[in-house]
Amino acid sequence: MLRLPLRADDPKSLDPVQGSTAYDNMATCQVYETLVQYKYLVRPLELEPLLLSEMPTISEDRLTYQFKLKPGVLFHDDPCFPGGKGRELVTDDVFYSWKRMADNGNDPKSWWLLENTIAGFDEYRHEQNAAVKEKKRTFDYDAPVTGLQKINDHEFRVILKEPVQRFMWVLAMFQTSIVPREAVEMYGDRFGRHPVGTGAFTLAEEDWRPGQRMVYYKNPSYHACYYPTEHMPEDVAAGRTKDAGKRLPLVDRLELEFFVQDQPMWLSFRTGKIDYTQVPDEYFDEAFIKRTKQLRPKYVREGITDQKVELLDFIFRGFNMEDELLGGYSEKQKKLRQAISLAVDLEEFNEAFYSGNNSVYDGPIPPGLEGYPPDGKADVSYRGPNLERARQLLAEAGYPDGKGLPRIEYYTSNASNNVEQTELFKRQLSKINIDVNAQIVEFSTLIEKVHNKKAPFFGFAWGSDYPDAENNLALFYSPNAAPGSNSFNYNRPEYDRLYERIRSMPPSPERTELYIKMRDMVIEDAAFIGSMGRTRFYLINPWLKNFKATEDFYNWPKYLDVTERGVYPSQ
Amino acid sequence: MWSYIIRRLIYYIPVYLGVILLVMAILRVQDPVAIHLGKNATQERIDATREAFGLDRPFAEQYATFLKKLITFDFTEQSWDFPGVTVGSMIRRSIVPSLSITVPALVLTTLLSIGVGMISAYFRGQAVDKALVFVAVLGMCISVLVYIILGQYFGAYLIYKKTGHELFAIQGYEPGLQYWAHYCLLPVMISVIVAMGYDTRFYRAVMVEETGRDYIKTALAKGVTKRKVMFVHMLKNAMIPIVTQVMITLPFLITGSIVLEMYFGIPGMGRALIMAVNSKDFPVIQAFTAVFAALFIVSIILTDVMYALVDPRIRLS
Repeated sequence: MLRLPLRADDPKSLDPVQGSTAYDNMATCQVYETLVQYKYLVRPLELEPLLLSEMPTISEDRLTYQFKLKPGVLFHDDPCFPGGKGRELVTDDVFYSWKRMADNGNDPKSWWLLENTIAGFDEYRHEQNAAVKEKKRTFDYDAPVTGLQKINDHEFRVILKEPVQRFMWVLAMFQTSIVPREAVEMYGDRFGRHPVGTGAFTLAEEDWRPGQRMVYYKNPSYHACYYPTEHMPEDVAAGRTKDAGKRLPLVDRLELEFFVQDQPMWLSFRTGKIDYTQVPDEYFDEAFIKRTKQLRPKYVREGITDQKVELLDFIFRGFNMEDELLGGYSEKQKKLRQAISLAVDLEEFNEAFYSGNNSVYDGPIPPGLEGYPPDGKADVSYRGPNLERARQLLAEAGYPDGKGLPRIEYYTSNASNNVEQTELFKRQLSKINIDVNAQIVEFSTLIEKVHNKKAPFFGFAWGSDYPDAENNLALFYSPNAAPGSNSFNYNRPEYDRLYERIRSMPPSPERTELYIKMRDMVIEDAAFIGSMGRTRFYLINPWLKNFKATEDFYNWPKYLDVTERGVYPSQ
Repeated sequence: MWSYIIRRLIYYIPVYLGVILLVMAILRVQDPVAIHLGKNATQERIDATREAFGLDRPFAEQYATFLKKLITFDFTEQSWDFPGVTVGSMIRRSIVPSLSITVPALVLTTLLSIGVGMISAYFRGQAVDKALVFVAVLGMCISVLVYIILGQYFGAYLIYKKTGHELFAIQGYEPGLQYWAHYCLLPVMISVIVAMGYDTRFYRAVMVEETGRDYIKTALAKGVTKRKVMFVHMLKNAMIPIVTQVMITLPFLITGSIVLEMYFGIPGMGRALIMAVNSKDFPVIQAFTAVFAALFIVSIILTDVMYALVDPRIRLS
């Protein structure tokens, strides 16, 4: 039996189309599955078939994808099926599940994943929702979509509007998981709490104890999935290759325990009640020697191991490029932003607030993705501290020694230690005589200000949805301007043209070159001050086997195994 | 008595209507839908959600609809945060865990505080009194978070680590009396320690005030023992402030203790409410606030009734 922590309160819903957070993802993808998944042990991340018998074939023009479903994949046994026996997954289930993302009645959180992607799908969505709104009829799931073509029960084609590289990544995201129509129709509103999928584990409604835990059991009819043989060299030493070829899942029972506060999670780990823990910031010094970042000897003696993961974070302070004072693309306007950027010392933030554990880098592409600059340092860089150059650029911008520059309005949320961070930020900028008026507001107010383009300067963050820098570069694409994801309201036609090119390009050195060009373009324009990404540390109890920390996907409990819980080698 | 209760209820109706009006207005100062849906929500989705929850209708209509639901105890509206879960079911499932902590805590705190308060008053000015007041002040000066952190560390973690016996749970809750001590006793003890500081000082002051009254002097002059005067005559007469203190606490029994529930993973009302506030779960916040306001009014009326029961001089007229 696995006992794993979920560092949050209950997931909101187990209906894939209603999920959005990492916690929803963790809870949902034990039960539901997507067409493709990430290879568990391979880094950088790669995709492999999950509900497919092989990866889809893609036409030369990259518009047509042909899929073959794996035969014999059964839904969990459930009263929604005749005789209570789960039936086989077929093409119609895939189309039905994706169409649910288009139905506003389902309160879908992730329509944007398929928006502007599949031929005829946006039109279908518009037409169906309009008909529902005008009370003409209910949402018609049987109506055809040009780009979704059934060949037979196990084969289908998807025609894209234009080549979109991210389509394959989207198919690995839990929101596109496949659900059976019978269950949705039978359970209605309760479907989000009564999951019926094809996943490695099943979850009964009564085993979801609100505010407490979720108890999953091994799916006895789980389709043939095996522990991977493909791995990285370090996996051998870590003992993660011993179960290669074994049928999944490896355990009979999985418990996800909810922890709203860090102390109970930490103490539960230390008493062996959970199998691993993330290391909360306030316990970092308890677990690691700060200087060397080595695990403390007492933990090593107990057989506890540690792992760390760099998150696909882009934490920044952004400028509204439409702002009269701080926005604009003229040389003087650019120099003002560059000067501000050069006055900020992100390493000081890192040391003061994150024990030096975060990664600090140039540009919007986080570590681990194509386009990330070597060692985080790009050729074009306005990362501080370089006060001399900052003062020079400030003078060239028309504000020698900061004279004549009005007080800058800076918005940030009141979450976490932002009050203290803002004090440091103000102090750093005061060194070049820039006066900041910090507005520390509720996160909702911050969003509202950014959406309405009322925040000239703001603290924000972006977590990549999938491991492709295209996702981050979309943040500067002008059609995505606020209230879209382009919070900077960045608008350069040349950048837009490049983005439209890379969107459809498969990975290649040529595409990486374009990523770098786009990255340097936004650095040169100094649309933001950045960047920073979090590093998450894990401690693993000695009885947990095969654990390889990741924050990019969450269906890995099926690969985990446990020996005797509570027995430490030192005992 | 019933006519009094009914009259008071009628008297409080406009107050309650005003409270609800205020709550609804405050919750709508910022668009609750836009706040809840977050930064990536499209205007289309915001509009659709607003329409689905009736927030596009005139305020007066929304007010009337909500009042109707309250009057008919219709809590079938779904949580925004937990689709498929009604507000009513959230209240139902979290009320017992809250009461499992708050009722024993209130009973114990009241009994112990009155007892300590009386002892303190009995030895007024003496070393015992000073020591008890010192401990009470010390108890209330320390943050509840300190008690929780120490309680979890020493009471739950260290005992288990040293003895292998799990006396108290680090966090969690299981329904059933047999599990109560394991999951609830530690938070109850912490709650009692924190509240006792305040209550002891309050009850001591009440008792000290009573000791100066004429009837006490008369009783003592008649030769009644000091102990009997304290525990029979004085306690009876001190019931009015005691009742007031207890009754004020009653609504908080239902809402639970937010901090304790959060730290001990107890799925009670306080935790549900704070989670709803954090995630801007509008229907839950609105319904919980309305229920809490109603409970507060009921407790005020009950307080008046209790006054009459404990003090024959007070008539419900």
